[in-house]
Amino acid sequence: MLRITLTSAWQHRRRLFGTVLAVVLGTAFLVGTLVLSDTLRGSFRSVFTDVNAGISVVIRGQGGGQVGDITAQRPLVDTAILDDLHGVDGIAAAEPEIEALAQVVGADGVSIGGQGPPTLGVNWIHDPGLAPYDLVEGRAPAAPGEVAIDTETAEAGALAVGETATVRTPAPIEVEIVGLLTPKGGASAGVTITAFTADEAQQLLLGRGDRATRILLAADGGTSDEELAVRVSELLPDGVEAVTGAVYTDEALDDLGRDFLDFFEAFLLVFAAIALLVATFSIYNTFSITVAQRLRESALLRALGASRRQVLASVLLEAVITGLVASVLGLVVGIGLASGLLGALGRFGLPVEGASLVVGVRAAAAAFAVGVGVTIVASLLPAYRASRVAPLAALRDVAVDRSDQSRIRLAIGLVLLAIGGVFVTLALVVDGGALERAAIGAVAVSVGVFLLGPVTARPMTAVVAGPVQRLRGVTGALARRNAVRNPRRTASTSSALMVGVGIVTLFTVVAGSINATIEDAVDGSFGGDLIVQSGGFSGAGLSPQIVDELRDLPEVDGVLGLGLGVGSIDGQQSVFSLVDPPALEGMLDLEVVEGSVYDLPGDGIAISQSHVEEDGLRLGDVIEIQLVDGTVLEQRVAAIFVSQAADAVGTRLVPIEAYAPHATQLGYISVMVALADGVSLEQGQTAVESVAANHGSPDVFDRGAFTERAVGDVDQLLAIVYVLLALAIVIALMGITNTLSLSVHERTREIGLLRALGQTRSQLRAMVRWESVIVALFGTATGLVLGTFLGWVFVRAIAADEGFGVFAAPVGQLALVVALGALVGVLAALRPARRAARLDVLTAIATE
Amino acid sequence: MVRSPVRRSVPSMDTPDQASPNAATPAPAATAPVARPAARAVDAVKIYGRGDTSVRALDGISVEIPAGRFTAIMGPSGSGKSTLMHCLAGLDPLTSGQTWIGEVSLADLNDQQLTVLRRDRIGFVFQAFNLLPTLTARENITLPLALVGDDPDPDWFDTVVEVVGLADRLGHRPSELSGGQQQRVAVARALVSRPDVVFADEPTGNLDSRSGAEVLGFLRRAVDDFGQTVVMVTHDPIAAGYADEVLFLADGRLVDRLADPDAEKVLARWAQGEDPVGSAPGEGSTA
Repeated sequence: MLRITLTSAWQHRRRLFGTVLAVVLGTAFLVGTLVLSDTLRGSFRSVFTDVNAGISVVIRGQGGGQVGDITAQRPLVDTAILDDLHGVDGIAAAEPEIEALAQVVGADGVSIGGQGPPTLGVNWIHDPGLAPYDLVEGRAPAAPGEVAIDTETAEAGALAVGETATVRTPAPIEVEIVGLLTPKGGASAGVTITAFTADEAQQLLLGRGDRATRILLAADGGTSDEELAVRVSELLPDGVEAVTGAVYTDEALDDLGRDFLDFFEAFLLVFAAIALLVATFSIYNTFSITVAQRLRESALLRALGASRRQVLASVLLEAVITGLVASVLGLVVGIGLASGLLGALGRFGLPVEGASLVVGVRAAAAAFAVGVGVTIVASLLPAYRASRVAPLAALRDVAVDRSDQSRIRLAIGLVLLAIGGVFVTLALVVDGGALERAAIGAVAVSVGVFLLGPVTARPMTAVVAGPVQRLRGVTGALARRNAVRNPRRTASTSSALMVGVGIVTLFTVVAGSINATIEDAVDGSFGGDLIVQSGGFSGAGLSPQIVDELRDLPEVDGVLGLGLGVGSIDGQQSVFSLVDPPALEGMLDLEVVEGSVYDLPGDGIAISQSHVEEDGLRLGDVIEIQLVDGTVLEQRVAAIFVSQAADAVGTRLVPIEAYAPHATQLGYISVMVALADGVSLEQGQTAVESVAANHGSPDVFDRGAFTERAVGDVDQLLAIVYVLLALAIVIALMGITNTLSLSVHERTREIGLLRALGQTRSQLRAMVRWESVIVALFGTATGLVLGTFLGWVFVRAIAADEGFGVFAAPVGQLALVVALGALVGVLAALRPARRAARLDVLTAIATE
Repeated sequence: MVRSPVRRSVPSMDTPDQASPNAATPAPAATAPVARPAARAVDAVKIYGRGDTSVRALDGISVEIPAGRFTAIMGPSGSGKSTLMHCLAGLDPLTSGQTWIGEVSLADLNDQQLTVLRRDRIGFVFQAFNLLPTLTARENITLPLALVGDDPDPDWFDTVVEVVGLADRLGHRPSELSGGQQQRVAVARALVSRPDVVFADEPTGNLDSRSGAEVLGFLRRAVDDFGQTVVMVTHDPIAAGYADEVLFLADGRLVDRLADPDAEKVLARWAQGEDPVGSAPGEGSTA
């Protein structure tokens, strides 16, 4: 039996080719992702280990933590500790490290970096073992006004040693570049570094001369890091801790993992999963057809005495072999993919140069588990069907592929659809937990739609094919008949595309809705006439000076700076907006329910209605905010407003005067400007930009441009998602090609007859092509309807949970999706159509 | 050889004007000039394969298929009868020699032109698998016209359908028709486009004798009533008995012809099958 299976698999290798390819692409994506992220982890680890190699012990403040996307800083440490360390044995070197944000402005007046990786402002560390960088040109900064910057920033800003430049801390200051440095390990990963003298760094970046971000110690030869850490710990005041360099490195890696690598990996894995899901449908379909076409073969085996289990095992074994071959290929292709992408990532400054690919057990195991697993799962049902064939079928001239629709399947499909409907309705009607209910409903509806495919295939194809038939006469009619002659096959062929298109549509609709929401909510995030925003989110922010400078402009009537504060409220790290309350007036139209926002006192806080409802707060209550420096702000609730979730001000408003004394670096995220009467938008923009030019040229948007940019960000992300989904569409396309090839093979005699009767080659090709297009459009239409529906459900569910969100289906983009579906049909038909046209008429019609 | 007074030894359709089609057209000797042959082959050679394994399916055969007549081609398996039909019908190219449909030399045509020729000027009835399972009987009948984009002449369509007795079966799919009905649909399809020649390849091979007789009767009527030219490949002497003339093939050559055949005469000739190989073609068909 084993030999029969192997021989049979080998003889059918051409049919299995499509299956293998689908699995290869899916697993390659998976392996590529895992290898890439393992490699990045490995190279980041080696870089971090290199950089921190000379650090034995780090002394730092306790506390800090993660608030959403923001890592709250640890409290600063008192540099007086350095004096206490003088007497400690085993210390070879001790230096303070000061680390904050400072953004270099290039020769063209535009800030450099800040699009993600931090723009670091640091002190020059003299000990080469403790310093995370090496000096490569010039000298170390020795006096106020002198800096060393990293070579990549110098290159990007066209700056050289000996030149003066502006650094924003965030207040713009003039500096002289005296040296160039490179990070240890070589790659900057996009991080920019500006090193001042320690004194200046303390003044500029921390606002006081007796503090440091942390203190770095190097142990002498005779003392281990752990010993030194213990020894030092005894001398430290409360709230300050000492950890070894190894711990420090691990933490940094964990942070990086959380902030970047884990997200990067999870993001890609989602799309690998989608590709594999589509591949599963495609493989299931191929196996169904090959099993159906071999039903007589299976029946003969049964007649000759093979047991059901043996037939079942024979199909499954074929699946395992297919899966194994595909997994090996997928592993190889995936590693190739990763190495290709690694090169591309190197161009973004990631430390990948010379990094060797890390092919971990994880990646290899995943390749085999998923490759073989997916193939087996997809072949289970067809294998079961093959084993059910009656031995007598070998003797009868059975109609090989029964296209009758299973009642059970119909029933389950309808039940799932009903369950899905109930959950969706509950999600939209009942308060709370909408998203969870919507998700359950979405899964039920999707599976239901898939199960009902064979039932919907006939009517849906009739609708889709109507115009084809009218347009292409008998060719169209034949194509349509061929498409519906086996509804189950049509349904499962198109279901791969349905999944792909459904997900594309879902993303498109959700993105469209987000954009519509952004446009709708622009009132909440855009005040006045113009808004100044620093380009990225990891830059130095906007200096408070800019607010004053703008206010001095004759063209300007009002200016509102919007900052972000971090602190612990009720033991939870929280963010809150910082404003100068009177400046709010006439700028942001807040719906105030109680109290007054515009004359919020210094010890006041304005909170949104949601805090009233959820936390039971009332006007006059005191909220304690613990800041990183240990101070506790006591702010009395002086106003309650209704916030929209997309509002720029969030849910808590604190006067900036309360926060400023405790901030190490005070910067605004955005500054809104109201123009004076009679000043045109163009005049105002010119004036504001002239001020902005002294602050690293942040963007100045009017209302339209602001919306456009926000929408553009979403569209950019959507474009990346589209690229990643392309693979799933390609796999679906190959699935259709595969089915079509098998169908053409099955219909050899029909095709011969048609050719004998006078069907031209081009008519024959058109017939196959239109069949493909009809099947593809069926899948596309189902996917489109399903995706739009799910998108609507999710948007509405989010709206129900969060209280905002507008549903919008971008018609133009969805029309493109339909066109894409048709194109998939045309492309999928290329090979089968060519093959059909090449069939020898004579062999096709020759009587047996 | 004298024409048998018994024209049909098999049950035939009792159509009124069936009286004596052959009487109306004086049976010509096969060597007699034909006004306009519907199809012909000259020195046709067809070799399959190469070298040692090559098979000479047609060995320099020359035949003319007279227009408006029912010609049967008989011969043992491997005699080249199907190959001759395929080559005459433009389904298979010759190795050497020439074939014509009317005045059109098939050797000069490319695949596209051959396809159009088949579609417009030739009708086919095959032994089995004649119909597209996805199309109704009506759609199958009009398929050759539909491939050009033409609508059938409604009167002619009705006449043909009437003749083959399918009027109440037009909406059925092939799977809902009996084998005989399926072949009748095939005959109707072959006639509906009024082709120059209808080629029938063992049209009754898969039918019981009653259904077979019906189908043969229709082909006969097509010749008698409508002046259709029919060429039928068969190994069934009874089927051959419906023809106006039988061509006997052996080893890729025309070995004998029999005008005005009936089953007995065909059988008799068949019996001496091996014998007349040496005899010159045409000899046996002298009246």
